[in-house]
Amino acid sequence: MTQPSQPGSSNYAVELNGCTKEFATPGGGSYFAVRDIDLKVEPGRFVSIVGPTGSGKSTILNMAAGLLNPSSGTVHSFSEPVHGVNRRASYMFQQDALLPWKSVIDNVSLGLTMAGVSKAEAYDESRRWLEKVGLKNFADRYPHQLSGGMRKRTAVAQAWIVNPDILLMDEPFSALDVQTRQIMENELLQLWQESDKAVVFITHDLDEAIALSDEVVILGAGPGSTVVGSYEIDIPRPRDLLDIRDDPKFVELHREIWGRLKVEVSKTYESAREEEESDAA
Amino acid sequence: MTVAPASKNTQRFPLRKDRDAAVAQRPKRKRSEASNFSIRMGQLALAAIVLGAWELLGRVGVIDPFFFPLPSDILMTVWVWISSGFVFPHLWITLQESILAFLTGAAAGLVLGFLLARVRFLERLLDPFLQMFNALPRVVLAPIFLLWFGLGIWSKVAFGFTLVFFIVFFNTLEGVKSVDRVLVDNAKMLGASEKQLLRHVFIPSALTWIFSSLHISVGFAITGAVVGEYLGASAGVGYAIAQAQGVFDTKGVFAGMFILMFVVLIIDLLVNRLERHLLRWRPVRSS
Repeated sequence: MTQPSQPGSSNYAVELNGCTKEFATPGGGSYFAVRDIDLKVEPGRFVSIVGPTGSGKSTILNMAAGLLNPSSGTVHSFSEPVHGVNRRASYMFQQDALLPWKSVIDNVSLGLTMAGVSKAEAYDESRRWLEKVGLKNFADRYPHQLSGGMRKRTAVAQAWIVNPDILLMDEPFSALDVQTRQIMENELLQLWQESDKAVVFITHDLDEAIALSDEVVILGAGPGSTVVGSYEIDIPRPRDLLDIRDDPKFVELHREIWGRLKVEVSKTYESAREEEESDAA
Repeated sequence: MTVAPASKNTQRFPLRKDRDAAVAQRPKRKRSEASNFSIRMGQLALAAIVLGAWELLGRVGVIDPFFFPLPSDILMTVWVWISSGFVFPHLWITLQESILAFLTGAAAGLVLGFLLARVRFLERLLDPFLQMFNALPRVVLAPIFLLWFGLGIWSKVAFGFTLVFFIVFFNTLEGVKSVDRVLVDNAKMLGASEKQLLRHVFIPSALTWIFSSLHISVGFAITGAVVGEYLGASAGVGYAIAQAQGVFDTKGVFAGMFILMFVVLIIDLLVNRLERHLLRWRPVRSS
């Protein structure tokens, strides 16, 4: 017998139940960014959320992070309701979020020093992380002196050093060129495999999602989008991301999921065109 | 005078375009060193030409030395004022007034700016009143301050305060409000408390704005002191200029102007130094 369990009763790293987010528009109206989102992420799982532009991917992540409150529905993390910032989670933003006035090492150690760890200890730990992400010799640089890829590596170290149970990633590598991006994805996967962290990864790139994840969640066309499909990615690990796109399993999964995503993408495209036409009229 | 927040385009940070700035700059700097020298020479030549022409035209009688005293005479008067020690007590009074006006005005502007930027309710409550006071031409306050605080330094401090306060206040308010949302979210996710947000995010981010306002407000603090002295005082550079004007001593008026100009330049240089130290994280602008 399968009884629907009480929200928050089981030990999911992230659990969204019937989450709807409504935003007020400047004109005094309101619109739904996402509607009735159910999302369950088990500890240690890598889950990607894929959807067309404007499908509210970031809204979902921000609700899981506690940066946004859902208009209705509940958010739980490890059985605890999320009120305010989710203390078990780290967040990697799409934009550069390093503090430009702090050196690389001060940026990386920020989470520790703010939690009351002594500066010497925080620096030691930061140096270990900088070595891990290959920035050992750049500790004293300022963010503007780094390349885009190096800034992302710093952001990875900044997010991981506090040893969160959940990593929320909002298209973290979308600003990078293709080669740098693949290298970063590989490094991310390696870090994650050595840990037991849950990852919620937002992307609009289906290839990236399938290559990295245990599960791919597809969002429908916005506004007011909702989950339209969820796919288990059973490609064995460890995976080699540089060759994975030729894997027959990958090709098959890609065809299946793209078939579903395509519908939503063309819906988005059509409604955008209609809007343009009605604007022009 | 009404003071708008310093223009945005002069101080946008950070410039993310120059990826390999450290490498790319080296050859450029060498070139600019060479051109720096020729620019300096050009500046000297320009100053010499203007002052020389002024002197010459004055001597041959094209311009009236009574209204436009000869540069050599002005320099002489400056020298006399300095060597006799006449100007120093006046300068000291003016500086005292300026420093007090600047410190009180900047402190009040900073505190209120941060407070209003972080507490939305207060901003909405006080906004119309602040706009009203800012719209008031500040010079008209000088007579009333003279009546309230007397001929001594406090009427000038109060006058300078009203000038400095609004510049610093509006820039701080704007600086804190324009902080990149994602920096705040990131710090919050890393566990920042409200106090830590202020220390690690808002204050450093607002510093660029505050500094651009410091340059202006230092000038305004001195303006406030001098104008206040000019309108009624018993000492100060403004008072000395007013006295010289009273006896049609245009050389004295110009000498006072030149001395003030150099004092403000020196102070501005010091502010620049401090700014460069505190904002050293900013990318070097390549232009």
